Amino acid sequence: MLDLLKIEWLKIKNYRVFLFMILFFLIGIFAANYIVYSLFQNVVNKSEAAVLLNKFNPYEFKYVWQSVSYTSGFLLMLPAMLLIILVTNEFAFRTNRQNIIDGWSRSQFINVKIVLALIFALCSTIVVVLAGFVFAFRTKTEISFDGFSHVGYFFIKAFSYNLFAVLLSVMIRRTGFAIGVLFIYLGAENILAQIMDGWSMIIKRDHHLDFGSMGDYLPLSASDGLLAFPDNPLKSFAKSALPTDYTWLVMLLSVGYLVLFYFMSRRIILKKDL
Amino acid sequence: MSILKVDNLSKDYGKIKALQNISFHVPEGSIYGILGPNGSGKTTLLGIIMDVLKSSGGSYQLFDENPADSHRKRIGTLLETPNFYHYLSAVQNLKITAAIKNRPVEDIDRVLDVVNLTQRKHSKFSTYSLGMKQRLAIANALLGDPEVLVLDEPTNGLDPVGIAEIRMLIQQLAQQGKTIIMASHMLDEVEKVCTHVAILKYGHLITHGDVNEILSNDDIVEVASIDVAKLKNALINFPGNPQVQIKENVVHLNFPAGTANLEEVNRFCFERGIVLSQLQLKKKSLESKFLELTN
Repeated sequence: MLDLLKIEWLKIKNYRVFLFMILFFLIGIFAANYIVYSLFQNVVNKSEAAVLLNKFNPYEFKYVWQSVSYTSGFLLMLPAMLLIILVTNEFAFRTNRQNIIDGWSRSQFINVKIVLALIFALCSTIVVVLAGFVFAFRTKTEISFDGFSHVGYFFIKAFSYNLFAVLLSVMIRRTGFAIGVLFIYLGAENILAQIMDGWSMIIKRDHHLDFGSMGDYLPLSASDGLLAFPDNPLKSFAKSALPTDYTWLVMLLSVGYLVLFYFMSRRIILKKDL
Repeated sequence: MSILKVDNLSKDYGKIKALQNISFHVPEGSIYGILGPNGSGKTTLLGIIMDVLKSSGGSYQLFDENPADSHRKRIGTLLETPNFYHYLSAVQNLKITAAIKNRPVEDIDRVLDVVNLTQRKHSKFSTYSLGMKQRLAIANALLGDPEVLVLDEPTNGLDPVGIAEIRMLIQQLAQQGKTIIMASHMLDEVEKVCTHVAILKYGHLITHGDVNEILSNDDIVEVASIDVAKLKNALINFPGNPQVQIKENVVHLNFPAGTANLEEVNRFCFERGIVLSQLQLKKKSLESKFLELTN
């Protein structure tokens, strides 16, 4: 696999779009978190309401892993888009054929893309951890890893987005179209998830059946649902109306969808004409 | 040893049958031409052998073994179009091929030199002309000096000088004992360089074998006199019963390759009181032979 990755590196190291997207992602992570950070520092905590609510800074070490994971999660579109570009490029240049002709197996071709998706997810996670430290140190609170599991959830979300991107790429093969479908799908699934969450609340209220937030059971919402912004102390009393979060179930589903994305992508590459 | 053995290979695209029960084998050291008009299934056939297309039936063997990825690393292939990363240079692209095939990167300069791309080796692929892209694809196939070459329309997009160079290159490679499988729709190309030929049409294998037997050029004797009809009637009884046709006031006599004797034709006519105004030996054109084979 290391040999395959070295070849993949030869393909992308001189690709400007690749470098540009990485830079964009790095700046994005720090900028997005800085915006949220300074919003609390300079606006929310200086408002009159803050006096009543105990000052709450989501970037204190106690909350930072949750905050930074949630906030950065919105930028995972970028590595997913990058992967779509890299994989659909192979179809556009017909180098998917050439790689096989020159001696790769079809299985090697798809596996290295899957591993690339994994590496992108790992690197994104490392960036998020670094961002967490940077902002938490600024709050001058004591180092803590409370809620560090959210970094793990972030990783699962990143990997889900990336694998979904690979799947779309091998299904659709055209860059622009695949990126378009990714956005439309995310939007559509989001709306459906909201509706299903609504049903969950109604079912709980009317029938006393607690299925959890059912919207979280959809393919990309599953890994989404694991992440949430830390609760403002004020908000927690409203929580009793919400269905229970079955974290273990959502987690299990996320991993299940990951496996599904992997096998679907693999099947397409192994069985179809290239 | 057979380099390639194809057994009953078929490929359907829905209702369209791109290949139907193709069987032939390529002996080691041959230059094997796969000849056929556009859309006859040449590229489909080679695509299946290179595992980029899935066959609908039948099987094939490479090097007398069931096909494996390692076989393709021993074969230099140019299939249909030059496929390269547009944003990388020739050298950067060939480094990827070298890495996939486990061939030394030192060979890159040599193959670029063979196809005359040395001067532009650091230019991006996207800046290349059609002919340069084709040259790079040939260089890619030559990389690592493989024992077998599969070239699909190798002279596509090249200028006349380039075409001549590639033909010479193919002959040189053949002299070194390499096996070359070449698909082409150009008959003279196949006739000039190949030792064997398989002719495809609409996915059917029409004929295959030694190139001299299949593409042998019939002798045509053109004769004319004042009374063409009388001449024709007389020549019908010519010994050996050659095929006799009248075309534009000229009688055409078809003989198998190398058997026409003009003196005998002249004497035969004169003895029957016919004075010839025209007597000429012509080789049957390859194009008409090709049309005859594929129609």
